[in-house]
Amino acid sequence: MGFLNGLFRKRERSSDLARERLLTVLVHDRVKLTPDVMEQMKAELSAVIAKYVPNVDPDTIEVTLARGDSIDHLKAEVPLRRNR
Amino acid sequence: MGRVITVTSGKGGVGKTTTTANLGTALAMGGARVAVVDADIGLRNLDIVMGLENRIVFDLVDVIEGRARLKQALIKDKRFPDLCLLPAAQTRDKDAVSHDDMVALTNQLRAEFDYVLIDSPAGIESGFRNAIAGADEVLIVTTPEVSAVRDADRIIGLTEAFEKGHPRLVLNRVKTRMMKAGEMMSIEDVLQILAIDLVGVVPDDEMIVTSTNRGEVAVMDKSSRAGKAFVDIARRVRGEQVPFMALDEGGGVFDRLFGMFGRRPRGSER
Ligand SMILES: Nc1ncnc2c1ncn2[C@@H]1O[C@H](COP(=O)(O)OP(=O)(O)O)[C@@H](O)[C@H]1O
Ligand SMILES: [Mg+2]
Repeated sequence: MGFLNGLFRKRERSSDLARERLLTVLVHDRVKLTPDVMEQMKAELSAVIAKYVPNVDPDTIEVTLARGDSIDHLKAEVPLRRNR
Repeated sequence: MGRVITVTSGKGGVGKTTTTANLGTALAMGGARVAVVDADIGLRNLDIVMGLENRIVFDLVDVIEGRARLKQALIKDKRFPDLCLLPAAQTRDKDAVSHDDMVALTNQLRAEFDYVLIDSPAGIESGFRNAIAGADEVLIVTTPEVSAVRDADRIIGLTEAFEKGHPRLVLNRVKTRMMKAGEMMSIEDVLQILAIDLVGVVPDDEMIVTSTNRGEVAVMDKSSRAGKAFVDIARRVRGEQVPFMALDEGGGVFDRLFGMFGRRPRGSER
């Protein structure tokens, strides 16, 4: 049914888009993490994690900046392989 | 001792010079002794906006380099005896002025005037840093557009990092019709995003162009909506509680604004 909702939904107001896009970009601006610094940090984090946790595939680690209601988060997701 | 207030923005062309000229004139019309200082070295502007461009003999750099005394360089606005302009140098660049020069200059002005308004250049470079060097208080100007608001956020962070207190916001060129249609960010949106206190909302007003053409500022024209908004800003700067006027008879835009927005702690900059 998703596509039906999509069909009938009003076009999103541009001011809402502006607000959302700004809030997202400002999370990055405020912590001063440019995309390449993020990549570098991710590589270093992956190396540290791989050192301590054997069943991690460093390529699957994801580091993201997420906007929250009251505080923002720097999130690292580290999938673990289920081998005993 | 007077107050030094720097008007700055981040993005260019959002209305710093217009705000400085109008706020300065409105404060002088209210009886205060006011000096407006053009700190946009190399891009002299405030003089022509105020209609004083034909009266310049010395400029800010002449004063700093000792070729003229401050009194000689200050241009008295004949329409308002308590209003003076210190023009920017036109043929020099921002490196002609240092942080300490600006602190010394603002201290000298503070002794003579009730309000010293500094019109800052755009950007986050030395021109901006010099413009806020002597400030007791900073006003940030933005329009409700994504690029201007993003740059304003950066400037707010820097202003706080330089320990200039919490700046206040002038939201300029507001188009009520677009806001109502949801095609321009609302006042609430901008305040919430920037976590900043509001000092005034100025409508987008074609009369700004006409009055600037004549070298008269909008506050001199009783029928100008933007002029009225700048008069209100002057009163708030003086410490009066002035309700935020509804931008049109539909009203309601400002009703919920008072005291709604707390400040967000910021990480340190620099
Ligand atoms: N409220 C307004 N309504 C209409 N035009 C405006 C308004 N504020 C500023 N402007 C116009 O926008 C332009 C840039 O303003 P200016 O004050 O020179 O910006 P800045 O000093 O930040 O570069 C000018 O042409 C000015 O007349
Ligand atoms: Mg300017």
